[in-house]
Amino acid sequence: MRGRGKWFFALAVLTWALFVGSLHAADYPTRPITLQIPYPAGGSTDVGGRIVAAIAEKAIGQPIVVLNKAGAGGQVGWTELARQKPDGYYLGYINLPHLLTTVLDPERKALFKAEDIVPIISQALDPTTISVRPDSPWKTLKDLIEESKKRPGQIAAGIVGYLQDDEIGYLQFAEAAGVQMRMVYFDGAAPAITALLGKHVDVLFCTVGDNFTQWKAGRIRMLTIMDKERSKFYADLPTTAELGFPTVLSASTRGIAAPKGVPAPIMKKLQDVFHKAMMTNEHIDMLEKAGQPVKLMLGEEFTKYYWEQFKVAQKWVDYVRKK
Amino acid sequence: MDALQYWIQGFAVATLPMNLLYALIGCVLGTLIGVLPGLGPAAGTAILIPVTFSLDPIGGIIMLTAIYYGAMYGGTITSVLVNVPGEAASVITCLDGYQMAKQGRAGPALGIAAIGSFIGGTFATFALMVVSLPLATFALRFGPPEVFALLMVGLSLVTGLSGRSLLAALIMTGFGLLLSMIGMDPVRGAPRFTFGIPPLYDGIGFIPVVMGLFGIGEILLSMEAPIIEVIRTKLTDLMPAREEWRVSSGAICRGTVIGFFLGLIPGIGAIIPTFLAYVVEKKVSKHPEKFGAGVIEGVASPETANNAYANGAMIPLLTLGIPGSPTLAVLMGAFIIHGLTPGPFLFQERPDVVWGLIASMYLGNVILLVLNLPLVGLWAKLLEIRFQFLYPGILLFCILGAYSLNQSVFDVGVMIAFGVLGYIFRKIDWPLAPTVLALILGPMMERALRTSLEMSAGDLSILVTRPISAVLIIIAAIVLLTPGVRLLGKKAGKDEGG
Repeated sequence: MRGRGKWFFALAVLTWALFVGSLHAADYPTRPITLQIPYPAGGSTDVGGRIVAAIAEKAIGQPIVVLNKAGAGGQVGWTELARQKPDGYYLGYINLPHLLTTVLDPERKALFKAEDIVPIISQALDPTTISVRPDSPWKTLKDLIEESKKRPGQIAAGIVGYLQDDEIGYLQFAEAAGVQMRMVYFDGAAPAITALLGKHVDVLFCTVGDNFTQWKAGRIRMLTIMDKERSKFYADLPTTAELGFPTVLSASTRGIAAPKGVPAPIMKKLQDVFHKAMMTNEHIDMLEKAGQPVKLMLGEEFTKYYWEQFKVAQKWVDYVRKK
Repeated sequence: MDALQYWIQGFAVATLPMNLLYALIGCVLGTLIGVLPGLGPAAGTAILIPVTFSLDPIGGIIMLTAIYYGAMYGGTITSVLVNVPGEAASVITCLDGYQMAKQGRAGPALGIAAIGSFIGGTFATFALMVVSLPLATFALRFGPPEVFALLMVGLSLVTGLSGRSLLAALIMTGFGLLLSMIGMDPVRGAPRFTFGIPPLYDGIGFIPVVMGLFGIGEILLSMEAPIIEVIRTKLTDLMPAREEWRVSSGAICRGTVIGFFLGLIPGIGAIIPTFLAYVVEKKVSKHPEKFGAGVIEGVASPETANNAYANGAMIPLLTLGIPGSPTLAVLMGAFIIHGLTPGPFLFQERPDVVWGLIASMYLGNVILLVLNLPLVGLWAKLLEIRFQFLYPGILLFCILGAYSLNQSVFDVGVMIAFGVLGYIFRKIDWPLAPTVLALILGPMMERALRTSLEMSAGDLSILVTRPISAVLIIIAAIVLLTPGVRLLGKKAGKDEGG
């Protein structure tokens, strides 16, 4: 091609590109969608993501490709998500409050802000539990509190993740009950549970999804769950509210989000498709078999929750940083 | 039902034609994944999980497990043939395996790797059947202080990898430790040495570094020689010589034991069994100075340990539901997706699944052997491609592999930079293995040490007051100090002798 021909061609391509870029919801999607998971394959988030992707892609008419981008407790994946074009073709999983504490913690030097990511729909709300071994001398939460007051700072308490839901749960509990334990951090559920089973820590703050497998095997017993209502997985387990600590509420909430700026029609379509997919019996069954409590919050409700958690995260990040 | 009946039932399940087919497909896919540098067993297994969705649970699990240890073997092939380790477990095989290939002995190297893997894997599977639960429960006693002490022993192994200069080995170890600190601090999450570059937040990327140091470095090195002789491998040379069988048998025994027991400890990773097996083999050998120049025990030992480890690590997974490595975590996720929860509960609830899986692991080891031994000749012939095509091909392979990790050009850049570094280090004859070892062990040690100190509220003595870790620390000290003592002894001897 020479001379003017080249320019016409470029103009045509540019026009075509602009047109393609401004697709309306009716035409969306026309190519595969990426669903990014900011954690390694095989974890609870990954399992949940793959299940819903397999179901939703049938409804949406295009493949939903699951991509693992793990690292730095999720920070690597979220940084990437915030960077992506808001055209509805790159979505990602977010975990609350981890995402928010990452953004708020000055030491993490996050390259994105809380408003750069927009929640679409939540999938699971996994409350924190206080877990012990079956042979532990503490039969109730009261036993643990009494013992901690006798030996402040001595009892080794395992915590999954840094400044994540389990630590916030511990901090709330410590403040409300007036106790202090020795915090031992683990960067994943597997090493934390191993440590509890191996008697290297005596108490573990972890979620239902983390300890379900071991509970089924009879290797873990729980003292309480930090939720407003009893869990359908653990019907005999008293909540913190029942035990006198209604303000001690903590959970890891997982859901799908998109970078800021996705056009409203596309967002609506995504919400509908994922909502339907998550309501199917297939989805609920598979998640429950994995011990994950399904909790669907759509669009605005999830966004409201997002910013409520932001306040909670802010409070506790400041508290920890001031120490 | 008693164990024998379970055993038989398991084989009945595993030898169902469909399940055999799944195992076969898994082994083939796994080997291919292992051969492609960079992809790694964890990512490869994860990618293939959806393929197994449409299968029944047992079939799906069988295929995924076969992929897992197929990938372990696949990594060996590239290590031996082109000095590019596919993943951490294959790094040490490069040392002697590649040298053997350069001498036209790629066949025996790959062959003994296949045979050693088979023996190691079969033994580990047998042990899984017989002693899983008590062993796994004992392994739980390895808490963070014990893990740190064990990793110290691992790091002290650099003295066995030093070649001619202990000082060079120590410097390279320090370099590796420095590299391992790039990224986010494993406990507080504060970025270190990242210079604001987002890809570095997660660390420098082990695979690109290793592929660069070993693979690209080798390519650069070979570009120096004006004439490269095509390495012809005669068909008769495909099997190890009688003498080599003899020394390998000892190596295989030692490798099996080391790999299996280390597989029981969750969170250790495949690199320690292979390094440890290699160094132990070197220390018991009558000709340690030949290690690194192409001795078959240098391949037999780590390869056996590797597969014994892979199969042994299934024990904590199946008995306690604890995945010992990222790849096993993927497998566990796959179990869960198929509706099976690993743990002792699984033994009771679905004995058909567990025993079918165990029987299938035996068969998988056999399939791998049957698949790979005949192919050894084919793989060895690859080296006969003329170097003008072979080396650019390897380079392309490596670039694709490095890119495929995170779809990031940054990783490719890292690989090339370390390729240049690797070339320089080879020219000055400084050993690469200590850097790799330190790079992997660094973060693990830091995490273990910090967690240990949290457990003891800052008291370092926790490392020596607990029996297991105290013993391991003493072993590490002995291993580290022995060369120094020997050196002093020699000097004293010289002074006296005059």
